[in-house]
Amino acid sequence: MKAPAFAAALALLAAAAPGPDFRDIGKQAGLTASFPNGGATSKAYIIETTGSGVAFIDYDNDGYLDIFVLSGDGGTNRMYHNDHNGHFTDVTAELGLTSSGWAEGVCAGDYDNDGYTDLFVTYWGQNRLYRNVNGKRFEDVTAKAHLTQDRVRYNTGCAFLDYDGDGHLDLFVANYLKFDFATTPKAGSNPYCFYRGMAVNCGPRGLPFEKNLLYHNKGDGTFEDVSERSGIAKAEGHYSLAVLAEDVNDDGRPDIYVVGDQTAAMLFINQGDGTFSEEAVMRGVAFDENGRELSGMGLASADYNGDGLLDIFRSDFSDERSLLYRNAGNGQFDDVTMAAGLGHNTRFVNWGCAFLDFENSGWKGLVIVTGHVFPEVDRQNIDIHSRDRAILYRNTGKGAFEDISEHAGPAILERHSARGLAIGDIDNDGTLEILANNQNEPPSLWKQSHPAAGHWLLLKLIGSRSNRSAIGARVVLSAGGHTQVDEVRSGGSYLSQSDLRLHFGLGSAVRADSIAVRWPSGQKTVLRDVAADRILTIPEQP
Amino acid sequence: MMRDIRAARVAMAALMVTAVGVPLMEAQSATEQGVIAFQQGHYLQASRLLADAVRANPHDEHARTFLALTRAATGHCPEAVSDLTDRFQQSGDPDLARLAGLALAQCLVTQGDTAKAVSIAGQLEARYPDDADVLYQAARVHMRAFNDATRRMFEKTPASYRVNQLSGEIFETENKFAEAAAEYRKAIEKNPRALNLHFRLGRAILLESHSPEALAKAQKEFEAELALNAEDPAAEFQIGQILDAGGRREDALAHFQKALELSPNFPEAALAVGRIRVQDKQYAEAIPLLERVVAAQPRNEAAHYSLMMAYRNSGQMDKARREQQELQKLQHPPEGEFTDFLKRLGEKAPEK
Repeated sequence: MKAPAFAAALALLAAAAPGPDFRDIGKQAGLTASFPNGGATSKAYIIETTGSGVAFIDYDNDGYLDIFVLSGDGGTNRMYHNDHNGHFTDVTAELGLTSSGWAEGVCAGDYDNDGYTDLFVTYWGQNRLYRNVNGKRFEDVTAKAHLTQDRVRYNTGCAFLDYDGDGHLDLFVANYLKFDFATTPKAGSNPYCFYRGMAVNCGPRGLPFEKNLLYHNKGDGTFEDVSERSGIAKAEGHYSLAVLAEDVNDDGRPDIYVVGDQTAAMLFINQGDGTFSEEAVMRGVAFDENGRELSGMGLASADYNGDGLLDIFRSDFSDERSLLYRNAGNGQFDDVTMAAGLGHNTRFVNWGCAFLDFENSGWKGLVIVTGHVFPEVDRQNIDIHSRDRAILYRNTGKGAFEDISEHAGPAILERHSARGLAIGDIDNDGTLEILANNQNEPPSLWKQSHPAAGHWLLLKLIGSRSNRSAIGARVVLSAGGHTQVDEVRSGGSYLSQSDLRLHFGLGSAVRADSIAVRWPSGQKTVLRDVAADRILTIPEQP
Repeated sequence: MMRDIRAARVAMAALMVTAVGVPLMEAQSATEQGVIAFQQGHYLQASRLLADAVRANPHDEHARTFLALTRAATGHCPEAVSDLTDRFQQSGDPDLARLAGLALAQCLVTQGDTAKAVSIAGQLEARYPDDADVLYQAARVHMRAFNDATRRMFEKTPASYRVNQLSGEIFETENKFAEAAAEYRKAIEKNPRALNLHFRLGRAILLESHSPEALAKAQKEFEAELALNAEDPAAEFQIGQILDAGGRREDALAHFQKALELSPNFPEAALAVGRIRVQDKQYAEAIPLLERVVAAQPRNEAAHYSLMMAYRNSGQMDKARREQQELQKLQHPPEGEFTDFLKRLGEKAPEK
């Protein structure tokens, strides 16, 4: 819990430091290619609406985050190598990542434990598993890994997780629905093809549901579909989009939370025997406070109130509230959206979202990118727009957030039809950057014009008995009397991958008193009296 | 007139399809032949056959009913109304009475006697509460009555604030909230003391936008409504919601409680108070309140959900599970219910 001394120091810090000032440096950084994603003024099919994700990964282990951006049909996914000077170079072709089709989501993890981060990309149709070959190229090993599937599947969010604790990363893939251009009704052809009186593309209601998938990593480079056996496939009737894989009930095993469009969210609690139990309703994360199904797009997790428990934020559709669920312990949650001051932004369709400590204050704020699914909405002259600004909340440190969107720099106010969002520190200076995928535009890369005021630590965890990416490792960090908790996650946000390194703002503290790591293997590592303002690699003892 | 006849024919065609209980065996008598001709839409032939049957036997109930239906279908309502009224009121056969009632309501609308048509529609609804044709006809009759009354108001009191108020309400139904707000403002200008105008304006502003500016404007309108009517629970509730959305929970609670004091059976207000009590861990106050809402409105999903959370948080897991089951039943009603039909559409292969 927050100590008085720490709070006082924070107050001084806040008084001295200017507010965040985010600027879009994408163009000067070399992110100039536009990424097609369906119609810009009208969308005939739902496939054009969901957009694509982005990823911050260090594919060549040079210590700097590279950028991976997914594309809709008509373009290619692109990998941009970080040149360490504020510029990125498109290395898509030389890495063997040139692609086509409707790419949706991306998640990262070293599935073969060779020390290089691999990529999984979801598609409408065939997903692709790219094995990172020594940081030099990516090999499409989808078929070899036994991950081929039906072409009408509309795969969306994904996450690597080691659900059975065998040290090999398994894979969860959310599925939106069954989609086929040939059979999907045209705009306006049934009651599900209208929005505010306008004929628009049809769905998701009226289109067939699809089941989510769980693949078990057999440790020999192949995966086995265990969706039925694990109980994941029992949950039917959902239009799934975003995935958050983390240990919500703090029992040492990763659970899986999935939000979807116009359907209840699902929380799969890991039973520890290879099966999951879906418990979202009773755990308080299926609906809004009225027991109403929302259209969940993105997911983020953090201990926003400093009580040592990971809370969940979900981004939702316009005319709905994006919800904050406070973890009350033991994986039971309460909807605290209103009390936390997050109840008023209901005019946006919210997508990629992430908690981030953009001031290094020790309290994570929240960023959300927006954009409507129906560009036709612009004809209505209302305050809901197809391209809209982002939302940035500052964490007050008192269990609530303050909307500072209008005063956080020009980048936040730029209007885009954004979808995927990821967080990472591209220049290793301890101040976080934000990457967003904009439909039919180049991506945004937002950087603050000045460094965040507080001190910081960036932790890179390397598993040995656990999976090499340390996905699922939980870190509890104490500094200046303030304790923070976080977990290494694959996937999340909206169909995106943030930096696998964990970032902690330390406020005025120049040292962390302790850093405790609970590895997925169950092993624990504790470091004491750690100097701040640096990147710290923490290996798991073999 | 042409439109009325067409409407009558369309209405009768719908009745033919649903004319259950009408004998369809091979036609023997003039009555049977006439009924079949009616069902096939051969109204002239039906009229001749059924008139013959009534002449031969004035007590032939089927013949009299279907002759009247045929006349209604061919636009001869003045000749049909008396028999349709008689058949609707007197017939011992509920199917025939239903057909006669439906045709009678249609005829009365055609003849411009909307008041009587509304009365017949009400009687039909009372006798056949789950009948889609009856409900459809009732909706049409009420719509006609609404249109007639609106036209009269616009003709006779064009400068009245009520014209602007009604225009605003119509714009609201069309999702034209900015236009609705403009009409309410005109109405307020004409009659600043009239009740409910500020409330409607505040609501239209909220329906148009939830921006902080819109919330502030709407709050002013609800406060203006309270200045005119200090005991308006709906305005109190709306202010509570705006304050809640702005993170001012304690202030919101005061307004929710006031709304509940003014209207103890106001479910949304009770739920709002109950939820805040749950967040504050005041279960002894929250649970009876939420239980009261569930008892009063057993189909209220929000009430069951809030009560489930209250039980869960207070450690009463058995009761929480019971509420979860109730919620699930409401969200997944038995097959055949309309809401379930809509939900199940998602499981079907899409049509080309």
